[in-house]
Amino acid sequence: MYAELRASELAGLLLIIAAGLALPQILPGYFLYTGNSLMTYAILAIGLDLLLGWSGQFAFAHIAFFGIGIYGTALLESRAEVPFLLSVAISAAVAGLVGIAIGFPAARLRTVYLALATYAFAECAQWVFRTWDPVTGGPDGLRFRPPVIFGYETGSDQSSFPVVALILALAIGAALYLTKSKLGRQMCAIRDSEHVATASGIDVRRTKVIAFAISAVFAGIAGGVYTLFQTFVNADVLGVSQLVTVLTMVVIGGSGSIIGVLLGVVVIGLLPELLRAMPQSLLVWQEFIYGSILVLAIVFMPQGLWGLIKPRFIRRTGGCGRTPAQSIRAPAEASQ
Amino acid sequence: MIFQAVLSGIVMGCVYALIALSLVIIYKSTDVVNFAAGEFVMIAAYAGLLLLDHLSLNYALMVVLSVGLVFVLGAFFERTALNHIIGFRYAAEAALVPMVVATIGLSFMLKGAVRVIPATEEVLRLPPLFSGPPLFFGDLILQRQDLGIVGVAILVMVLLSVGFNLTATGKALRATSQNPRAAALIGIPVKRMRMMAWAVASGLAGISGILLGPKLLMTPDMGSVVMMGIAASIVGGFTSLIGCVVGGIVLGVVQNLVGIFISPQAIAVTPFFIIMVVLVVRPNGLFGEAMRLKKV
Amino acid sequence: MSAFFAIDDISVRFGGLKAIDHFSMEVRPGEIHALIGPNGAGKSTVFNCISRFCTPVEGRIRLDGQDILALPAHRIVASGIGRTFQNLELLKRMTVLENVLIGQHVHIPRYFFFGPSPKRKRTEAEAVKSAEAILEETNLAKYRDTPAGELDFGHQKLLDLARALAGRPRLLLLDEPAAGLRNREISFVDALLLKLARSHGLTIILVEHVMPLVMSVANKVTVLSFGQKIAEGTPAEIRRHPRVIEAYLGSEAHA
Repeated sequence: MYAELRASELAGLLLIIAAGLALPQILPGYFLYTGNSLMTYAILAIGLDLLLGWSGQFAFAHIAFFGIGIYGTALLESRAEVPFLLSVAISAAVAGLVGIAIGFPAARLRTVYLALATYAFAECAQWVFRTWDPVTGGPDGLRFRPPVIFGYETGSDQSSFPVVALILALAIGAALYLTKSKLGRQMCAIRDSEHVATASGIDVRRTKVIAFAISAVFAGIAGGVYTLFQTFVNADVLGVSQLVTVLTMVVIGGSGSIIGVLLGVVVIGLLPELLRAMPQSLLVWQEFIYGSILVLAIVFMPQGLWGLIKPRFIRRTGGCGRTPAQSIRAPAEASQ
Repeated sequence: MIFQAVLSGIVMGCVYALIALSLVIIYKSTDVVNFAAGEFVMIAAYAGLLLLDHLSLNYALMVVLSVGLVFVLGAFFERTALNHIIGFRYAAEAALVPMVVATIGLSFMLKGAVRVIPATEEVLRLPPLFSGPPLFFGDLILQRQDLGIVGVAILVMVLLSVGFNLTATGKALRATSQNPRAAALIGIPVKRMRMMAWAVASGLAGISGILLGPKLLMTPDMGSVVMMGIAASIVGGFTSLIGCVVGGIVLGVVQNLVGIFISPQAIAVTPFFIIMVVLVVRPNGLFGEAMRLKKV
Repeated sequence: MSAFFAIDDISVRFGGLKAIDHFSMEVRPGEIHALIGPNGAGKSTVFNCISRFCTPVEGRIRLDGQDILALPAHRIVASGIGRTFQNLELLKRMTVLENVLIGQHVHIPRYFFFGPSPKRKRTEAEAVKSAEAILEETNLAKYRDTPAGELDFGHQKLLDLARALAGRPRLLLLDEPAAGLRNREISFVDALLLKLARSHGLTIILVEHVMPLVMSVANKVTVLSFGQKIAEGTPAEIRRHPRVIEAYLGSEAHA
């Protein structure tokens, strides 16, 4: 239960890899581009939920780490000729270190103060990305070449799709193993009761810092993945609205559950396409619709779509038990 | 040059203070940070413009209606969405995260709704309350509107002071924010108090909107001024009303000085930098109370 | 002779209030020692000092020679002290099994968290096995996969106890284990406490209001009132002690 993936989970990962290899052969470029974006969002969303849903830290620095991942990977590749995999690893590590640096002061802050402080950090980071001309290209941004991995050329939506899918599968796999592990239980424990966690020998502050670091690494990796199928970045994609989009994905899908988060990514990620396809393009309503969905979901469906669907089909699973009735709202009041 | 900066910093600081008051009133009664406060400011400004331009109402009536609109909007949001989340609980603690997320959603709803209206694509401006030639004090220039802003701000703070300390409703509000369970036990209608707190706070945001509309460029994104309010309230200590005023003025002045001594580009990042530094170094700000520890 | 567990002249202040005033207590190994007193006497505060959720302004606390006050709160369980909570703090969203696994946390070795490994498989299997053994002992085995928040009150208290036991304590602090339980459940707790003390070689300090439990289970009783020790002795002695009766106004002491 805690040592291995369930058969269904393993199957899911293999399915993602298989789709990564097969879909580029059948789908046109635009679908693949959308797919690549969704998969990048997925890595971001999982990383965010590890902090939000599993560790209970309501923190919003995530998008800054995404930026570190993008700029870091792009710069190392184009300016220093560092191979792709190493660039991503280094950028993700840097993101992780910054996550640790943020984590220490953040661990002392309570809910709303934590949200505000990390939000302020994300805004500062975006400002840095926008104004640090020599490194980030300032408001004009950075252009970069598509990476070549061991002779395999990426750059087109077709060629990068399998690589993105593979990285996604690895990321999901790592997240699954993490949540089932001793460390995963530790993160859930600090979410549910810091007193019990402390009395059980868990250093709450250190665990929070670790959670920040892991979440940041995921965001950094997502940033690296971004450079596979994009050729340009500037600070505009690293702001609040992006963060809220990822947050909406997590909330709608189901915080505290990896499948839930993936479901949310698909639903919210495909929404713009749906709007665009309407007879009179409703794309201009996107912001309003996202906001409305967020409010409606958090009021009426705090356990997310997965929380609604799960009890009808699935038995209980292991790893930081979450039943659908519980969510980022208060846990069920005991029958007192 | 510096004195001019300080003067205009004080003026803007008064508006920040009003927004900060709005945030802190809500925080004190429900422990929630209202991320949509900036959008209430924006809605009031746009509503005011609509009423003035398209319905040709006189200024006073416009103010009453615009502020009234956000007053009702805030009360409505609290009564429906937030009340539903908080359920039967007295204290918001456990439901805090969903409520804050709801305010984030609301802010996007309001922004998105306004952005859809084609007229908002161009940058607009609300006519000022006090117009006329500027006043001169030696080398310093003061717009009449600025003087008006300070005057309105002072008036509002006096009214709030009187309201919270001398009226029964005000005292009931304070009781509710200190200890909701106890307040309920002595018969204070806690749910209604929460709604009132939101209504008053939203009204304050609306007033800020009317004051800001003439001064700032009106765009659907002008709600980002909420960050100033947040920074002001954090500097002042998130639980202190006096702190809001002091914090607002400090922030306004510092911001202008940063623009002069560091760079105009740095102005945008000043509030965020201040928020981070204050929360790390001295989370209680200048006047805030220490955070209460949960009893084991 | 140094005692197994000794609280030596501690005082605790909260703001201007002196919650504990020069309190001392000694506990022998294997003893079940009850700490009683009217509400607000400071009993939970004593526990909080021991588990390092608060710090006395003076005095010492020692377990088997080790200075407890020198340890941070999260190292207490490793030193051999476990506790339950008066307010029933549980990991409500985690299953019963997971609550006990957390209790056991410090005894589970580390492994690579992001992937499979033979060490992981072995370690987790052992951990689950010992956790299940504790669930058997506390009658919770059939709730293994139930989220803790869904249990009824009595079982939640048992889970709190199971979690504390999983830490393999030498000294167990029980904060009102019988509060809110029905008679049948109190007898179960009664029997369990005696069994634990004997078979696990546990020393127990028990804060309690339910006098029948105290009288039948405790070897020694210390009485606190307004932060000060007013009496100490066997249950029989305490029952008759005039100051104790006075402190309780003659109500529960005659149980």
